[in-house]
Amino acid sequence: MSHLPPLLLALAGFTALAFATDRQQHDLLGRPLPPSATRALRIAGAAALLLALGALVAWKGWGLGLVMFSGHASLAAGVVLGALILRARAAARAPKR
Amino acid sequence: MGNPRVKTDRKPPPAGRPAAPGIRQSMSGLHTWVGLLLGWVLYAMFLTGTVAYFKDELSQWMRPELPHQTEVPDQALVAQRVADALVAIAPGSPQWSLRLPDARNNSVYAFWRTAAAPGQRGFGEASFDPATGRKVTSRETMGGDFFYRFHFQFHYMPVIWGRWIAGVAAMFMLVAIVSGVITHKKIFVDFFTFRWGKGQRSWLDAHNALSVFGLPFHAMITYSGLVTLMALYMPWGEQAAIRTPAERQQLTAELSAFIQPGKPSGETAPLASIEDMVRHAQERWGRDNVGRVTVTHAGDAAARVAVARGEAGRVSMSPQYMEFEGPTGRLLAVHEGVGAAAETRGVLYALHLGRFSDSVTRWLYFLVSLAGTAMVGTGLVMWTVKRRQKLADPERPHVGFRLVERLNIAGIAGLSIAMAAFLWANRLLPQGMADRASWEIHGFFIVWALTLAHAALRPARTAWIEQLWTAAALLALLPVLNAATTRRPLWHSLAEGDWVFAGTDLLCWGLAGLHAVLAIRTARHQPRLRPARKPDRDPMAGAALRKGEA
Repeated sequence: MSHLPPLLLALAGFTALAFATDRQQHDLLGRPLPPSATRALRIAGAAALLLALGALVAWKGWGLGLVMFSGHASLAAGVVLGALILRARAAARAPKR
Repeated sequence: MGNPRVKTDRKPPPAGRPAAPGIRQSMSGLHTWVGLLLGWVLYAMFLTGTVAYFKDELSQWMRPELPHQTEVPDQALVAQRVADALVAIAPGSPQWSLRLPDARNNSVYAFWRTAAAPGQRGFGEASFDPATGRKVTSRETMGGDFFYRFHFQFHYMPVIWGRWIAGVAAMFMLVAIVSGVITHKKIFVDFFTFRWGKGQRSWLDAHNALSVFGLPFHAMITYSGLVTLMALYMPWGEQAAIRTPAERQQLTAELSAFIQPGKPSGETAPLASIEDMVRHAQERWGRDNVGRVTVTHAGDAAARVAVARGEAGRVSMSPQYMEFEGPTGRLLAVHEGVGAAAETRGVLYALHLGRFSDSVTRWLYFLVSLAGTAMVGTGLVMWTVKRRQKLADPERPHVGFRLVERLNIAGIAGLSIAMAAFLWANRLLPQGMADRASWEIHGFFIVWALTLAHAALRPARTAWIEQLWTAAALLALLPVLNAATTRRPLWHSLAEGDWVFAGTDLLCWGLAGLHAVLAIRTARHQPRLRPARKPDRDPMAGAALRKGEA
């Protein structure tokens, strides 16, 4: 076990949660997803985050596990937002100029 | 951070709740002013505290004469070596204590109470070479401990004052966090929202993202920071409950592994083998996980030895130690638990310092704490961004605006310059100079004062750009300076696998890049924020804001 699986899970989780928001569906897909898909993304995202927490707690116990989960979750959320920003910037630049 | 126009005009509060209309707006106002008033203090506390997560590594980098430690030396042997040295250096000392080398420390820091005249309390301190047990001969420096201590007690003032200021600032921070969460009602809806190039709206999005993503950390670090100094801020409970010396001793035992000296017997008796005592502790806690050895009245028949457990992998700073009889080495007691209240404090204390971390977790701490720094920074800048659009005459802003604007430049960009200058001073000040360690620190403050003067004299935008570039240059050239002035340039440390030196050099470049990007963006961005003809642009800015809302 290492720090990589929980980080990847957290990244996947926040990516799914991002796709479950109206704004990102509009920006990334150009149309809203059906409510069932949105719900599935939300559940998958939450499940991935819980799995990351579970993996860390199983590995290091509750004390360290919670601390590490908090760090990975913050980092993953930041990375996902950063990726969304980069993508939106690239998209905004491409068609206009 | 709140923007009343955006936040409150949109959705009227539900009918039938007359008290509701004001709450978000008043919280927004509270957040704005509480955040601003001590914002620069908080920014400095956040940034120096962030760097302090690597204080041990930084201390190693600032003492390049100490060789790179490839593996942790046997702590039992080192403890004996340094104990022998201390017996010789501090005869008759009522108490001395040494911190053993571990994965992050390549020297042994020890301090001792001097056996001065009764009623006087004198201290001595030194760092020792684990391999020889002799005092290390490296340049005189406070190392990373300067940032660590500055972070909660500042400098050039009595320690207690500094800690009170830090406490008030932390209290403000706590208010800012709570009021900020209330103001920012759409935390989940806007979780992944960032609208680029929309001026104030973008600043707000950035500020929100930095705050929300790290919210568990920001809340924890602020609250636990207050807990670390709670005995200073709220001593009354302790004063009421702890009255006798015996009770005080019990309290100390619950809070730290520094055993307190009792009365010496007057009978001389040499210490038994410290090595054996540390071996005993190693069997219990692991080879590299002994933290500290404290001895009272070494050389006296009443001597006591405490061998404390290290901090790695344990989310609690509550003391765990084995207590031995000095002259015989007989194990007297193993202290491994404290009461619930003391343990609560121990856990919060540990969470704040993060010293239990493996290297990945330490980087997580560093990054999220850096986000917290940026949260404070964006909040401060936003105060001016938001008000610049409403200035009657942008060429002649009122005095409050000018003050905040200039303090922002020196408090944010200037602090980066000053911190880099501190590291430059470490490499450039001549060895053997009188008060060398103090002059490194004076250098930090002199440079910081110069950045304030610069910020006051130059036009604001130019000052930002010049200071950000200066910080970028100082940081980018630091590895070069290190290569020129020490025998441990980057290529050498990379080849040796010396990640303390290589990591510091590379981190400097990373931070230099960050400052360069900020400088470039400031240079490009300003015309939008400060239009030449204000009346033409204002409706557009408003339109952009409203559009960004949709």
